[in-house]
Amino acid sequence: MSSTPGSRPSTTAIIGWLIAAAVIVALAVLLVLNGAAVWNSFFPPEAKSVQGQEIRNLYDIVFVIAAVIFLIVEGLIVWTVIRYRRKPGDDELPAQTHGNNLAEAIWTIVPTIIVIFLFVISWQSLNKIETVSATPDLRVRAVAGQFQWSFEYLPADADATTKALFTVNAPLGPDGGLVLPAGQTTHLYLRSTDVIHAFYVPQFLFKRDVVPQKNPLHDNQFDLDIPASGAGQTYRGQCAELCGVGHRIMVFEVRALAPAEFQAWYDKQVAAVNATAPPAPSGGQAGPPVNVTAQGVKFLEPTLTAPAAGFTFHFDNKDAGTPHDLDIVASDGKKVFDSKEFPGPAVQDLPVPPIPAGTYQFICSIHPTLMTGTLTVQ
Amino acid sequence: MSGSSQSVLTTGDPGHAVAEHNPVAGLAHDSRGGISNPILGMLLFICSEIMFFSGLFAAYFSVRASTTPWPPVEPADIAEHFNLHSEPWFAAILTVILVVSSVTCQLGVWAIRRDDRTGFIRNIGVTVVLGIVFLIGQAYDYATLGFGIGDTTFGTTFYTLTGFHGAHVFGGVVMLSVVLYRGLAGQFSSRHHDAVEASSLYWHFVDVVWIALFSTLYIL
Amino acid sequence: MATTTLTPAASTYRSGLYEWITTTDHKKIGILYLLNSFLFFFIGGLLALGVRTELAIPGLQLLTNEGLYNQFFTMHGTVMIFLFIIPILAGFGNYVVPLQIGAPDMAFPRINALSFWMLPLGGILLLMGFLTGGAASAGWTSYAPLSEDRIGAAVNDAAGSGQDLWIMALVLIGTSSILGSVNFLVTIFKMRAPGMTLFRMPILVWTVLVTSVLVLMATPVITSALIMLFIDRNYGGHFFDPATGGNAILWQNVFWFYSHPAVYVMVLPAMGMISEILPVFSRKPLFGYRAFVFATAGIGALGFSVWAHHMFTTGAVYLPFFSLMTFLIAVPTGVKMFNWIFTLFRGKLTFSTPLLFALGFLSMFLIGGINGAFSAAVPVDFALHDTYWVVAHLHYVLFGGSVFGVMAGLYYWFPKMTGRMLGEGLGKVQFVLMFIGFNLTFFPMHQLGLAGMPRRIADYAANAGWNDLNLLATVGGFMIGASMIPLLWNVFISLRAGKIAGDDPWEANTLEWATSSPPPPYNFDRLPEIRSERPLFDLRHGRTANH
Ligand code: HEA
Ligand code: HEA
Ligand code: CUA
Ligand SMILES: [Cu+2]
Repeated sequence: MSSTPGSRPSTTAIIGWLIAAAVIVALAVLLVLNGAAVWNSFFPPEAKSVQGQEIRNLYDIVFVIAAVIFLIVEGLIVWTVIRYRRKPGDDELPAQTHGNNLAEAIWTIVPTIIVIFLFVISWQSLNKIETVSATPDLRVRAVAGQFQWSFEYLPADADATTKALFTVNAPLGPDGGLVLPAGQTTHLYLRSTDVIHAFYVPQFLFKRDVVPQKNPLHDNQFDLDIPASGAGQTYRGQCAELCGVGHRIMVFEVRALAPAEFQAWYDKQVAAVNATAPPAPSGGQAGPPVNVTAQGVKFLEPTLTAPAAGFTFHFDNKDAGTPHDLDIVASDGKKVFDSKEFPGPAVQDLPVPPIPAGTYQFICSIHPTLMTGTLTVQ
Repeated sequence: MSGSSQSVLTTGDPGHAVAEHNPVAGLAHDSRGGISNPILGMLLFICSEIMFFSGLFAAYFSVRASTTPWPPVEPADIAEHFNLHSEPWFAAILTVILVVSSVTCQLGVWAIRRDDRTGFIRNIGVTVVLGIVFLIGQAYDYATLGFGIGDTTFGTTFYTLTGFHGAHVFGGVVMLSVVLYRGLAGQFSSRHHDAVEASSLYWHFVDVVWIALFSTLYIL
Repeated sequence: MATTTLTPAASTYRSGLYEWITTTDHKKIGILYLLNSFLFFFIGGLLALGVRTELAIPGLQLLTNEGLYNQFFTMHGTVMIFLFIIPILAGFGNYVVPLQIGAPDMAFPRINALSFWMLPLGGILLLMGFLTGGAASAGWTSYAPLSEDRIGAAVNDAAGSGQDLWIMALVLIGTSSILGSVNFLVTIFKMRAPGMTLFRMPILVWTVLVTSVLVLMATPVITSALIMLFIDRNYGGHFFDPATGGNAILWQNVFWFYSHPAVYVMVLPAMGMISEILPVFSRKPLFGYRAFVFATAGIGALGFSVWAHHMFTTGAVYLPFFSLMTFLIAVPTGVKMFNWIFTLFRGKLTFSTPLLFALGFLSMFLIGGINGAFSAAVPVDFALHDTYWVVAHLHYVLFGGSVFGVMAGLYYWFPKMTGRMLGEGLGKVQFVLMFIGFNLTFFPMHQLGLAGMPRRIADYAANAGWNDLNLLATVGGFMIGASMIPLLWNVFISLRAGKIAGDDPWEANTLEWATSSPPPPYNFDRLPEIRSERPLFDLRHGRTANH
C-alpha cells in the first residue's frame, strides 16, 4: 500500500501485504506445481452416470455464475478498501451519503433475476434426473442396515414390496457389489432395516437417503443409467448419512458390466438359487462344537482353536436385525469355509469339514473390517 | 483515530459519572402508554407457547396421516380403547369445566378493574378450584383409559398432547394461586393488577389449547 | 415487575464475586455471557482440534474408537452452536442494546439473570455425557431414529445417558433463549428513550429485534421435538420410530423448522455489529438504513420457509418450493452486502482491529453465502449434501461470518466494557493468524467435498486422494487455535495496563458512547437529544452535517 513519501508504512499496510503475499505465493505454488489439477479440484469428478452428467452440467453453470459474482463482489470490497483508506492527517468528513434508491433497486433486482434463472435451470435438470422409466431393464433393491449393504435383485414387474429373486450380500469384491448392466436403465429401491443411511456414489454425483419406512411402498426409488462406455468399470460407493459407530465402513462397489456379461452373471445367480440346496450335513459328520458369539458387530472371541478333523461352529448372533456370517480364510486369502448369513438374534450350528492344520482368519464377510479373529486348527 | 476523544456529554472520568440521584427518573422510560411490560411479556411468551403446541400438533397430524386406519386397530385388545369418538362425554365435561373457569377468571379481572376486591377474590378462587377439578378429572381419565403411552403411536401422541396441556393447566393453577394469595394480602387494585391480567391471559390460552385438543382428539 | 429500586447508591456497584453471581445489571450479565461463551468456545475448539488431529492423516491415531470420534464432532457442533455462538451474540445484545436505546436496564432484570444462569448449567449437563459413559454421538442434528437407539449401545453408541443429557441441556438452553427473546422484545418496544423511534434505532438493535422474533417462534418448536425424542427414548413413545408406526422424517422437519431460522439467529446480530462498526471506521452513515432494516426482516420471514433445503436428499419434501425460497434468501442478504460495501465506498477508512475483523466478515461471509447457494440448486445438492462441502459452507458462514463479527465486536466494545483499549498490534497479529488459518482450514474442504469425502467419518482410505487437503486443514485448524494466544494475552495485559479508553474512543455514533466507560449502573446521567439514528454524530457535527 502506498504511503506519503517519507512516512513509514503502517502496521496495517504490512499486514495487508502479508496476507496478499501469502495468498499469492500459495496460489502461485499450487499453480506451478499443478495448475490443471488445482482447476479440476473445483469441480466434481467426471460423471459416470447419465443422471450424474446432468448434475455436472448444472454444477458447471452454477459454478461459473457463482465465480463471477464472487469475483465482482470481492473485487469491489478489495478495491474500495484500498482506494478509500484514510490518508494520514486527513480529518475532513467524507460526504455523508445515506443511500441511493437507484443503486439499491439495481442490486435488489439483478440478484433476483440471477437466482430465478438459477432456480429455473435447476428445476429443469431436477425433472430430468427424477424421471423414472416405466419399463426399466432391471430392478434392484439396495438394503442398508447397520453397517452393511446388500443388493436384492427383483423380477421385471416388481414393485417395492416384491420378494427378491436372489441377493448379493457382499458389498465389495469380485463376488459382490451392486452389479449393473451398462447402457441400460436400472430402477433402484432403497430399504433400510434400522436407521437412516444414504446411498452415495461420488462418481454419479448423486446420493439419496435410505429412510426406514414401515410401508415399503414409501421407500425412496430412482433410476440409474450407466452409459455403455462404463462397461467393466467399478465405482466406489459409501453411506453418507451418519448411522452409528460403523458409518464409515458402510462402503460398497458398483460394478458395471456389458449387457451380455451381465446377463451371464445374472443367469448364474438365478441358477444358483434355483439349484436345490445340498442337504445339510447330518450331525454325525460334524465334530466337536466351537462357540462363536457375535455381539455389537464384533466377535466376542478374538481367538479360537479347533481340531483339523472337522468341527461345528456354534454361532450365536446376538445382534437383533443385523445379519452376520462366518467364513474361514486361509493365509493366502482363499476362503476354505463359507457360511450363509442370518440375522440375529439367532443361533445356528455350522458344520465345518476337515481342513488342514494351521493358522486361519475367521471373518464376517459382511463386516470384514470390524469382525475378524484368529483360528488355530490343530 | 483519536484515542481519547471524550464525549461531549460526560466528563469522561469513569469513576465519577455515577449519578448520585436516581438517574432514570428524569427519563421518560417505561411510560410509552399502552400495554404494560409484564402484559406484553406474557403475550410474547404465549406466542412461544403457541409454537410449542404447534410442534406437538404437527407431530400428531404427521403420525396420524401416516397411519391407516386411525385410530389403529392393532393390537386388538388395546385398540378397542382407542375409540375416543364414541365416548367423548367425560372429556366434554372437562371441557365445560375449563371453559367456565375461563369465564370466572375474566370476571375476576373485570372485578379488580372496578376495584371490587371481593368479587375478584371470589372469582379467582372459583377458577383455581375449577382448574384443580380439571386436573383431578384428567388424572382419573388417565387411570381408566385402558391404554398407555407406549401403546402405538396413538397412545404416544394422546398422552404427550394431553399431558403437556395438563402440565400447563398445573402451571396456570400455580400462577392463579399466587395471584389469589397476593389478592388476599390486598396487593391489587384497579390501578395495579398487571399480574392478574397476565395470569388470566395465560389461563385463557390454556383453555383455548384444550378446546383445540378436544376437537382434534375426540371429534375430528 | 422490574426491580428498579430507585436511587441506587454508587457503592452497590462493587465487583465482588457475590456481586457478579447475584447481579441483575444487564451490563454485568452481558459480560458474564461473553466470558461463559468464550469458555465454551475453547472447549468446542479443543474438540475440533481433536477432530482435525484424527483426520490429519489416514488411519486411526488419536481416538481409539469411532464412537468417540462421533462424540467429538457431535459435542463440537453442539457446543459451538448452542453454547458459544448463540449465547455470545445474546451477550453482546444484553450489553449493548439497552445502552443503544437509552434504557437503564433490560425490561425484566431478574429474568435476564435467570436466562444467563441456565446456560452454564446446560453446558455442564451436556458435557457430563463424557463422564457418564459416552456423550451424545448422533451429530448436532441428532437424527432419529439413530438418536433413539433402538438397536443397542454397541452398535450406534447413542445409548447411555449422553443423548438424554444432550436433550435436557438443549431444552434448558432453549428456554433460556426464549426468556431472553421476550426480554429483548419488551425492552426494545417499551424502554426506548424519548426520541428513539423505531427507525432511529441502531441497526444492531434491529437485528436483535428480528433475531428475538425468530427465537420466539422457532425455539419452542425444537423444544417440542426434544421432548418427543425424550419420550421415545425413555417412556416407550413411538414418534420417530418407523418400525412402530412413527415417522423418521418428522424429526428432521421439526428440527430444521427450528434450525434454519436458528442459523440466522447465529448471524443476524453479528451482521448488526458489523453495521455499527463499518460506518464508524469509514466515517459515513450506514448506506441504505431502511433497506437494511427491511432486508433483515425479509431474511427473518423467508427464513421460516426454507428449512427443507437440509432435506433435499430425503425424497420426502417438495423440492422446487424449497429450492426457490432458498435461492430467494440470497437477495436480501445481497442487499446487505452491497449496503456494507457502499458504506465503505468513498469513506475514509481507518484500519483499526474492529474494522479488519469486519472486513474479514464481509469477504468470508460472501464465500459462505455463495457456496450455500450452490446447495439451493437441488441436483447440485445431491452431489454436495453430507460431504465436506457442507462443512466448508457452515464454517464460512459461522466462523467466517459470525466469529469474525464477534471478534470485531469484542475489539469495538471492549473499551466501553472495561474502560481500556485492547492493543492494536496484538489485535492485528491475531487477525492475520486467524484469517490465514481459517482459510487454510476450511477452503480445502470445498475440494474435499467435491472429491466425495463424506462428513462425519473418523478415517478415510489412504488412496482416496484426500490426504494433502486434510493435512492442510489440520495445520490451519491449529493456526486458528494459535490465534487465540495473542487474543488472550491482549485481554490480559489490556485489563491491567491498557490505554485508558475515555467515553468515546472511536468517535462513534450511538448512545452507548455518550456515557462513561464502563457505564454507571442504570447507564445514563443525561441523554443527548435523539433526532436521527446517529445522535452522537449530530451532537458532534451539528444536525446539518447529517445530510
Ligand atoms: C450462520 C449460519 C448460516 C447462514 C447465514 C447460512 C446461509 C445460507 N445457507 Fe446454510 N447452513 C448452515 C448455516 C448457515 N447457512 C449450517 C450450520 C448448515 C449445516 C447444517 C448441518 O447439516 O450440520 C447449513 C447448510 C445449508 C444447506 C444444506 C446443505 C446440505 O446439507 O446439503 C443449504 C442448502 O440449500 C444451505 C443454504 C444456505 C443459503 C442459501 C444461505 C443464504 O442465506 C446465503 C445468502 C448469502 C449470499 C448468497 C451472499 C451474498 C449475496 C450476494 C452477494 C448477492 C448475489 C448472490 C447471488 C445471486 C447468489 N445451508
Ligand atoms: C460457530 C460454530 C463453529 C465453529 C466456531 C467451529 C470451529 C471449528 N470447526 Fe467446526 N463445526 C460446527 C460449528 C463450528 N465449528 C458444526 C455445527 C459442525 C457440524 C457438527 C456435526 O456434524 O454434527 C462442525 C463440524 C466440524 C468438522 C466436521 C467433522 C465431521 O464431519 O467429521 C470439522 C472438521 O474439521 C470442524 C473443524 C473445526 C475447526 C478446526 C474449528 C476451529 O475454528 C476451532 C479453532 C480452535 C480453537 C478456538 C481452540 C482454541 C483454544 C486453544 C488453543 C486452547 C486455549 C485453551 C485455554 C486458554 C484453556 N468442525
Ligand atoms: Cu449407514 Cu452411514
Ligand atoms: Cu438452512
